[in-house]
Amino acid sequence: MKRISAPFLLALSAAAQAQQPAPSGVTVIAVPPLTSPDAGTKGNQMLAVGFDISRLVETDLRQTSELMPLPSKREDYYSYPEVTAPSFYKWRTLHAKAVLIGFVRSRSDGRLTVGCYIYDVDQGRELGRKGFVIAPSDWRLAAHKCSGLAYTSVTGSPGMFDTRIAYVAENGTGDGRSRRIAVMDSDGYNHRYLTAGDTMVLTPRLSPNASQLAYVSYASGRPNVRILNLDSKQERPLIPADSISFAPRYSPDGSKIVFSMMQGPNSDIYVVGASGGAPQRLTTAPGVDTDPSFSPDGSKIVFESDRGGSQQLYVMNADGSDERRMTFGGGWYAAPEWSPDGNLIAFTRRGQDGRRIGIVKPDGTGEQALTNGPGDEGPTWAASSREILFQRTNAAGRTALYRVTLVGGEPRAMSIPQDGSDPDWSGVVD
Amino acid sequence: MRKTLLLFTAITLAGSAQAQLPGLRKRGPAQPTQPALQPIDAMRAEFATQSGGTTVYYSAGNAVLGPPALTVLNAQAAWLRRHPEVVVRIEGYGDTGDTRDHALAIGARRAEEARSYLVLLGVPAMQILTTSWGKERPGLGRAVTILVR
Repeated sequence: MKRISAPFLLALSAAAQAQQPAPSGVTVIAVPPLTSPDAGTKGNQMLAVGFDISRLVETDLRQTSELMPLPSKREDYYSYPEVTAPSFYKWRTLHAKAVLIGFVRSRSDGRLTVGCYIYDVDQGRELGRKGFVIAPSDWRLAAHKCSGLAYTSVTGSPGMFDTRIAYVAENGTGDGRSRRIAVMDSDGYNHRYLTAGDTMVLTPRLSPNASQLAYVSYASGRPNVRILNLDSKQERPLIPADSISFAPRYSPDGSKIVFSMMQGPNSDIYVVGASGGAPQRLTTAPGVDTDPSFSPDGSKIVFESDRGGSQQLYVMNADGSDERRMTFGGGWYAAPEWSPDGNLIAFTRRGQDGRRIGIVKPDGTGEQALTNGPGDEGPTWAASSREILFQRTNAAGRTALYRVTLVGGEPRAMSIPQDGSDPDWSGVVD
Repeated sequence: MRKTLLLFTAITLAGSAQAQLPGLRKRGPAQPTQPALQPIDAMRAEFATQSGGTTVYYSAGNAVLGPPALTVLNAQAAWLRRHPEVVVRIEGYGDTGDTRDHALAIGARRAEEARSYLVLLGVPAMQILTTSWGKERPGLGRAVTILVR
């Protein structure tokens, strides 16, 4: 996929041209190296950073199913004044529909100013721009923000380039299998472990801006939800009681956490302020109610319940009123997560032939399987609402993280240092 | 408040006793009679053999105690009533094909059902802790009673 033969590229470009401006088509985008207003040695250093940024933008955009970046070439260099007044002729002849250009300028405090601009090539008008100041070592972050600008301008959806992924890193086998919570940038860089591996941990869930993490710890001998501040590294139990609590998830504004708690043999759904307070009980049905997930406007909660005999998805208002069953298919439906754009709910469907990932509209119609299983579970949405990350367990019991796009195709494995389960994908960090 | 008062009275009495009869102090407070302490492994072995096993099994997807499970728990209850000094932890497991959080809840439910039955048979509730491993550890579809002290 890295190297694309010219005929293939041209065919795609032609298709994009024919379909333009159809939103379902592939948009060819040019990403020439960022320029710099600086002169001399400094200027050369800035141009080198600019070239790195444009190549990372190219890599970012190549991972999407909506944009097809042209290779970033050094000879596509342009001058600084052209950033705000580019010539489009060259990109038109290459069948590009959009071009992302920009600059890198050194500051007296040692940091860099990066500006990115995206233009519609056919109409010759600016679609958007973004500027920020970064430390030189954060050039990857600048590239991800530029990628997000390009993606959002073309598709109208938030980009998932400047986002974090939390998951459970697993080592060893059997009872001795160690588990650590790990967090990384969505492209796999900046990977770090947040827990030591001497305690069983489960279900890491990032707050929307990835500043906090809710997870389940066995530090007390039984599963309890704990909250970890990723900046201060301070940690606390979500609720003071020693009841078994699990399946935490943040509300879209990050102010609340919805979770499950056992009362005797009964598991119900509760909501509590992210900074503390008394939990409020939302469900009362006998049986297992768990895996709650807020709608993006915060007004509703989707969850799974086996109150009707088998696990099915239910929707209720955020205050617990008006509970309604939304799936009626065979087998079991579990682990729902509402998409960031509100249009779909992803879930795990369990049948005699294993577990697979599916999507359904919030009204219960339009169900569609995205993977073939048999060991798939735990879907989590990209900020773009166009891609899903999930856990796949193979026949030998090894776990890995896979990504699949809504338009279909084979799921792709994410590259992580060891086995991994239970992923959670944050919103755009910004 | 009542306890504190009693304790205070006891100390005062002890103080006055010491003043009047110094010899009494030497013997110290009466030692509670300790049960003969056995190594925990020996206790566990005895518990396992005399209660017909530490493990009860459930059919997939539920937490209903079947006749074999009740037989095991009856024997466990009889042993635990004879050994009020021990504390046990019942660890519940989910089923292999289940999803993570549902398995966690089913495991907790299985442990809780076993605990409730033991309490029903007269084992003090304080003597029994519960937890759930869901599907996170090998050994699915069961609840295991483990002697912790």
